[in-house]
Order: sequence, then structure tokens, then C-alpha cells
Amino acid sequence: MATLELTDVERHFGPVRALDGMSFDVADGEFFCILGPSSSGKTTTLRAIAGLEKLAGGRIVMDGRDITDAPVQGRDMAMIFQTFALYPHLTIRQNLAYPLKRAGIGGAETRRRVGEIAELLRVVHTLDRKPPTLSGGEQQRVAIGRAIVRRPKLLLLDEPLTNLDAKLRHDMRAEFKRLHRELGTTMLYATPDQLEALTMGQRVAVIENGRVVQIDTPRALYARPADRYVAGMVGAPAMNLIDGRTRSEGSNTVVDLPFGKVDASGLGVPAGQDVVFGIRPHDITLAATSPDDGGMTLRAKVHLTEPLGDVTVIDLDVRGTTLKMVLREEVAARLKTGEDLSIRLGGADGHLFMKETGVRIA
Amino acid sequence: MTAVKLPRRRREIGKGGWRHTAGAAVVALIYFFPVLWIILTAFKTRTDALAIPPKLFFSPTLENFKSVFFRQSITAGSSQETEFLLYFFNSIFIAGTSVLAALIVGTLAAYAFSRHPLKGNDTYLFIILTTRMMPPIVVIIPIFLMFRITGLAGSYWGIILLYTAFNIPFSVWLVKSFFDELNPEIEDAARMDGATERRVFFGMCLPQIYAGLAATFVFGLILTWNEFLFALLLTGVDTRTVPVAMARTMGGEVGVDYGLLAAIVTLFLIPIFFVTFLLQNQLLRGVTFGTVKR
Repeated sequence: MATLELTDVERHFGPVRALDGMSFDVADGEFFCILGPSSSGKTTTLRAIAGLEKLAGGRIVMDGRDITDAPVQGRDMAMIFQTFALYPHLTIRQNLAYPLKRAGIGGAETRRRVGEIAELLRVVHTLDRKPPTLSGGEQQRVAIGRAIVRRPKLLLLDEPLTNLDAKLRHDMRAEFKRLHRELGTTMLYATPDQLEALTMGQRVAVIENGRVVQIDTPRALYARPADRYVAGMVGAPAMNLIDGRTRSEGSNTVVDLPFGKVDASGLGVPAGQDVVFGIRPHDITLAATSPDDGGMTLRAKVHLTEPLGDVTVIDLDVRGTTLKMVLREEVAARLKTGEDLSIRLGGADGHLFMKETGVRIA
Repeated sequence: MTAVKLPRRRREIGKGGWRHTAGAAVVALIYFFPVLWIILTAFKTRTDALAIPPKLFFSPTLENFKSVFFRQSITAGSSQETEFLLYFFNSIFIAGTSVLAALIVGTLAAYAFSRHPLKGNDTYLFIILTTRMMPPIVVIIPIFLMFRITGLAGSYWGIILLYTAFNIPFSVWLVKSFFDELNPEIEDAARMDGATERRVFFGMCLPQIYAGLAATFVFGLILTWNEFLFALLLTGVDTRTVPVAMARTMGGEVGVDYGLLAAIVTLFLIPIFFVTFLLQNQLLRGVTFGTVKR
């Protein structure tokens, strides 16, 4: 187990700042997720921590020891790569034994631990085969095994599920949580998939262009995104974001939206300000079946339905603006394209961001 | 995005059907015909070899092979041992040593070019290749003079040095392409597992490109094995290679002895045949390396 602190870490590729003041702390034994779209700096962050990238600035401290300039070898951490990076010319047994061999652990102990790990990850039947003959899921489990066999203090995971099919991905998410519980190792998990981050991470760092935008628990990220970027990133289907403008109305401030207005009093926003109103698809309900909580009731036309099995995502046309909502399958099944509906936008569920900076107002 | 699993297509012999198989056989025979003709000629008597129309059926003789090593000289009258055993040794020793040396130097250079690129990496690679852009005969005079002055002319080390130098560009380029194809995350994984840079190179990178190294070795060997011009000018009496010695059997008192020439060529083919066959599987993988996208 280990703590980790990154302070203003910089990594530049020519004019591109891949890491631009990346800072965060990871607690001992934490499952910490890094969430961001591709080329936002997730992989570079992990590689920097592993010592595989030459930094232009900043400090990396692990367990109170500055490891910024320490060699890759002997950092007492392991990484699971996106491509798994198994040694293709070695058997699975040799792959699993490799970190132990390099650490100078004896033959008997190595055999015992490799056997244990193979048992734990259910790859015993593959031990004498070579990596290219294994299925994706088996390769993945071997990659995990090779990373944890040495019992590193810190485990770095770089989009380990990206190369797997959907079903396997679901199983592996549970597997990673189980491993984390059993090993107690501090884990850093990079992913572009908000679902993975929310389901697995104890805390999630949302990053953009090589810097942290928000670090919070999954619940807090979902409930109070710090800015428009996080709001769009977390939650599926993504939050509805609608451009609007503030206006004084008597002693109140309101936001004018294409299909109505919402109250923005007491938030300290001046009139005449461009803002973005956000509402999650789950917070839009059918007016007929939900109590009036002071929200906005609107007429909408069903534009498109996407059945997902248990729920259906519905694209609504509200006076030229597209809003998404989510309905249970049996309710949605009765809807026809082009049908008129009465929907309600929950009064307490709206989010408000500055248009220019994206920063959260409320 | 790189997929993890290589789709493996199994080749099934005979699946092409007899029509395609026959077609392939005909084409193969056309390619192989000159070689076949040489081998046949090696077993013919002088009269059979020169017969018009050419004879396809004849009573074979080993006389030509015998006279490669023991030859009747008209002036001496008695059968005399030739130096061909030495020449064969020379060819094998010189080609083998220089191609191996070029492969070792080339592999080290290729790894450096691939993994630790310099500023202007491509320029250096280009410059390395320029030495192969002109016909060798262009540089023969300066090289000949240099060899004369330094005393390298006629020595083993002289010709080995030259062949090594000529093979290095080719080795660097080819082997670099194999290194470029490797997944660098594998090397990073090894480093994180505690492997030193030396181990990463010898334990991770090299084993993954054995096939490519084999292919590079064979190509270089074939080029060097058949080289004539430099060998003619820069080898001495004791370091003469087979192609040069072969040329010297032509002419003289008795004109061209085709049977003898064919016998030498046939023997000359054997080592290359042997090496190529030995590395056949590696070779196939080597030349198709990187054509399949991971």
C-alpha cells in the first residue's frame, strides 16, 4: 500500500503540453480513477508516475519519498497496459514469473506464487502456452497476474478494459473491485469510460488537456459537476445542456431559455450574462405521472427512441431544442414517433454554468 | 486502436484445387529451369553438354565434379589437385563472417535508431543508405588504392571489412523496420518488472525479431556469396572466392568447359540452399513481418 502525490507535473511533447500542471493526491489503499477523453493525458499521467516519461517539471512523491527522478526499475509499482504488453516469446508461466525473477526471488517461491496467481485468476490451463494463443479475457487476466504477482505497493491500470468485448468488460469491472478488496493495493485506474470510473472509483479525477478539472466521489461528480465539461462527461446519457441568457424580472433574476425561463435569483449572476442550463435526462419526467414540484411543464414531441432493454432514451423536440429523457421500457413502448407529450423538468434538478468559462453557478 | 488478437488463418495444403496447383507448378518450373539446366549439365560429358539439339536424357557422369578438385593439365600431363577446396572455404568464411558482423553491428545501430532517435534521425538513416545508391564499380578505384596502401588487398580481413561495410546499411534498415514493429509497451512492462536496459534488449527485443534477423542474414548472405567485382580485384591467390576462381577456369587452352563450370556452380549452390532451407520458416515470417497490422 502506498500514498501518492503529484504536484504540478509537466510533460511536453514539442509544443503540446500533454501534462499541464497535473496535481492530485491518492490515499493509502484507495481505488482512484482518472477519467478523461482520449489524448487528455491519462496514459501520460500513469507513465509519468511509473517513470516512463521525462518530466518538464513538477514532483511525484510516493510514501513521502520523492521519486520524480528515480529510475523505472525498483519503484515498487506495476502497470497493466492497454495492449496488455505480455511477453509474446515467453510462456504464460514465464510471463508470470518474470517480475519475481527480476526481483531475485527463488525458484521454489516463484513456482508457489505463480501457481497461486494462476489459480486466483483462473489461467492455470494456459500456463504452458504463449500469449498470442490466448483469448482477450485470458490475456487480460495474465496481464493482471503479472502486475500483482510481485505484490507492488501501487498498481497502475491504463484502460485495461478497452480491448475487451462488452460482456467481458462488465465481468472484469467486478473482478477489479474484488481484487482491490483482497489485495488492499493502492490502485490508479485510467479510463475514458465514465461508467467504469463511477462504478469502480472511490474518488475520480476528471481531467482535460493535461490538468485536473474536478476530483470528487462518483456521487458528488454526478450531483454537482464543477463545470460544464464534467457535466457533459459524467452520466449517461449525457446531461442536456441548453444555452440561455440571464435577465432581471422585477427583483428576481431569470434565465431565458428557448422554451421558457428558469429562476436564477440569489445566485449572484448579473443580468445579461450568457449561461448554460443543464438538466439530466433522468430528471425529466412525464407530467402526467409525476407530482408538481414547482418545475417547468412543457409540451414536447417525440423525435426518436433508442430502446436499451430495461430503459429507453427518448429524444424530444421542445420548440426546436432537442432534449433527452429516460423512461422505463414499458412506459416508452406506448410512445410513437411524432406523438405530443407533456413533460416536467424537475425544479430542484437544474444545473447552471457560465457559458464563457464553463464554471458552475448552481 | 490495436487489437489484441492476431487473426490466424491456417494454410491448408491442396485447398487451392488441382488447377491452381498445376498452374503454380508450371510457373515454379519456369523459374527453376535455369538452375535445373545447370545441375543437369554438371552431370553431362563434354559432348552431351554441347550437343544440339540439347539432350534431356543422357548417361550421367561424375567426371565434372572430380575435375573440380583434380584436373588434368595438358602441359603437366598428370592429374593435379586444384585449389577449389580452399576457394570454397574462402567463400564460406568470408561471406559468413562479414554478413554476421554486419548483422551484429546493424542490429545494434537499428535498435539505437529505432528506440533512441537522434535529432535528424531520418537524415542519418538516409545518409547510411546513400552508399547503396551507386553501382559499386564507382568506388572501386579509391577502394582499390586504399587497400593497396594499407596492405589490406589480398587479405581476409580486407575483403571481410569491405563486405561488412557494404552489408551494414541494408542490415540497419531492415532490422530497424522489425524493431519499429514491436509494441514498445512490452519493453516498458519489462522495465517496470525490473529489467535493465541490457535485459530489455537481449531478453525482450531480440527474441521477438529472430525471424527478421534470420531473413536479413539470408538476404545478406546471398548478396555477398555471389559478389564478383570486389572479390576479383581485392582478393589474393590464397583468399580467392569461388566466383572469381570460377571465372578463371574459363578460357585457357581448352576453351570453356561447360560441364566443369556447371559442376562448380552446382557445388556453389549447396551451402546457400542449405542455409535457406534451414531458416525457411523463419524466412517466411521474416519477409511478411509487419505486413499484418496488429
